[in-house]
Amino acid sequence: MNKPSCLHIDPRTGLLLLVMSNILAFIQPSFPLELGWIIFLCLLTALCGCGKAAVKWLLVFGLILCLQFYILPASPKLIATGCSIFANYTRRMLSCAIVGMLMVKRTPLRELIVGLRTWHFPQKLIVAVSVTLRYFPAIREETGYIRDAMKLRNIHGLQKVEALVVPLMISATSTAEELSAAAVTRGIENPAPKTSVVELRLNAADWTCIVTGVLFTAASYLTS
Amino acid sequence: MISIENVSFGYSGEKGTLRDITLRIKDGECVLLCGESGCGKTTVTKLINGLIPHFTDGCSLAGKVSAEGLPVDETELYELAKRVGSVFQNPKSQFFNLDSDSELAFGLENQGADPAFIRTRLKETIQNLQLTSLQGRNIFSMSGGEKQLLAFASVYTMNPAVFVLDEPTANLDEDAVTRLGEQIRLLKRQGHTVIIAEHRLWFLSGLIDRAVFLKDGKIARSFTGAQFFSLPERERIGMGLRALTPSSGSLPSALPCGTAEGLSVEGLTCGFGREEPVFRSLSFSAVTGEVLAVCGKNGVGKTTLTRCLCGLTRERAGAVRLSGKLFNRKQRTRAAFCVMQDVNHQLFSDSVMGECLLADPDCTNARAEDVLNLFGLLLFRDKHPMALSGGQKQRLAVATAVLSGKELLIFDEPTSGLDYAHMMEVSSIIRKLAKEGRIVLIVTHDRELIHCACDRVLEL
Repeated sequence: MNKPSCLHIDPRTGLLLLVMSNILAFIQPSFPLELGWIIFLCLLTALCGCGKAAVKWLLVFGLILCLQFYILPASPKLIATGCSIFANYTRRMLSCAIVGMLMVKRTPLRELIVGLRTWHFPQKLIVAVSVTLRYFPAIREETGYIRDAMKLRNIHGLQKVEALVVPLMISATSTAEELSAAAVTRGIENPAPKTSVVELRLNAADWTCIVTGVLFTAASYLTS
Repeated sequence: MISIENVSFGYSGEKGTLRDITLRIKDGECVLLCGESGCGKTTVTKLINGLIPHFTDGCSLAGKVSAEGLPVDETELYELAKRVGSVFQNPKSQFFNLDSDSELAFGLENQGADPAFIRTRLKETIQNLQLTSLQGRNIFSMSGGEKQLLAFASVYTMNPAVFVLDEPTANLDEDAVTRLGEQIRLLKRQGHTVIIAEHRLWFLSGLIDRAVFLKDGKIARSFTGAQFFSLPERERIGMGLRALTPSSGSLPSALPCGTAEGLSVEGLTCGFGREEPVFRSLSFSAVTGEVLAVCGKNGVGKTTLTRCLCGLTRERAGAVRLSGKLFNRKQRTRAAFCVMQDVNHQLFSDSVMGECLLADPDCTNARAEDVLNLFGLLLFRDKHPMALSGGQKQRLAVATAVLSGKELLIFDEPTSGLDYAHMMEVSSIIRKLAKEGRIVLIVTHDRELIHCACDRVLEL
């Protein structure tokens, strides 16, 4: 799942970065700090093996800045007001999006689960999170089949929505039933504390990320 | 040792799913449960792995079941799980993780086993079952056969004394079935007890010690392995069982392209994005009145060919003609229909009749009734499609295709998990469609079906 030559960050580091990005989005740091934070995250993304994505994020950031400083001031008022809110919010949430994507792409589900477990999140919440994440790709697969079937049946317009939802729900019910039967026969209800083959350890890279994040957050808080 | 004593069972509101079953299975024995669909063989497996009564609400159960010395009804499922492992029919719905490594470790992690022990056990599993190709894979990139192999392996890591397999081959191709057979052989060598409920039988020859034949919820007959596999053909068919030997004999191969009446595929190349094409310059004909089987291992492009013929994917090169006329992608979507393996995906209305009207808004009641009658569905005209049985749903999907005037019908694995009688039913419908002048293709691994329903074979 991971390219061997790439940096690999702990899911807990990812979660912390996500929290800090959220805090930063609310504090609204000064421009140099904001720029620094975005560049730091893009660098991290690139080091984790998503070079292309990092470049794309930087382009998006540049584009929003252009929009805010050059294009919108010169456009008609109606468009300017509407778009500036949009641009402003996108810019604020950008760092969260970068960390979010990095985690989705680079953190295996089970590491996330182990991470949450070491932080003593309630088991119920962990199961809910893992089942939800597990189900998204399954829905995508199913939707593909149903779309094909609709094309062959000549179903158009509003009918499509109903035609998609009904089979999806029916398959979800049977999947849920079968999945839980398989789960209980593999001892998911065992009250013994669960163990894991994956052992998570925060390494130098993780600490660097966390310390950098804390520094940025503190600096933004003090300067705002 | 597993003992089932005088057990009668009914799901909620029903009675007589099982009637007075008594069965003792010795340690290390390999037992086949066979019989027609609905005979109760899956229910017997549930008695052993504890899904009955722990996972079945409102059922009625009389009699005693014990597995490995544990009374099943009084033992928690997670305790039972350590001694009885289960593999189910549907490879899609047996996974909780998104990657194969996590899945293999799942059972032991649930038990709270020591991580170092889990690691050694994982190594053993991968070595014993030769699973190197399945390591570190995303579940959604795996074929049905690979998924089923993984499901088997993740039970194997838990090392239960008893393995309960409920129609494990329903979605597998011939290679994967053979491989499963080898794995069962390994289990036997290692002294595990194996209970397998199955329709496909040929791969179990030489593996099973005993065969138990169920009929209407009762144990009707019991055989030793050798007796069972030497049952005369007529008796086997009378019992409604699938073939005991792999089907042999071959059909003529598909006609070359260029037919004037029917489907002619000329130099077809298909692929995704910038990747290598899935198949290249494929040419063949399928004439009206004949049924063409499309075979080949998983991954050779059967699905891609089907989707391309139905106009769901674009071809890179080549032409598809119907009755000599060139059909582009959009035209093919209108002229072709695919009966999918999971037919639940293609029924959309809230009644059988509604399904017909959806297929052809201008269709008169009389015409719809005619077609429904042809497929034995007229009695169910007001029922909800999802309340039909699997076979009825399949026939309803075919009926909609007939109503919308589709010329080319493609069946994708129409007999996975079907018993002899249902396979023959599907086969007779396919024959009927061909006789009425439609072009019929069957994409399948099922050699037995090919031999009774097809005229020619296209090996991809």
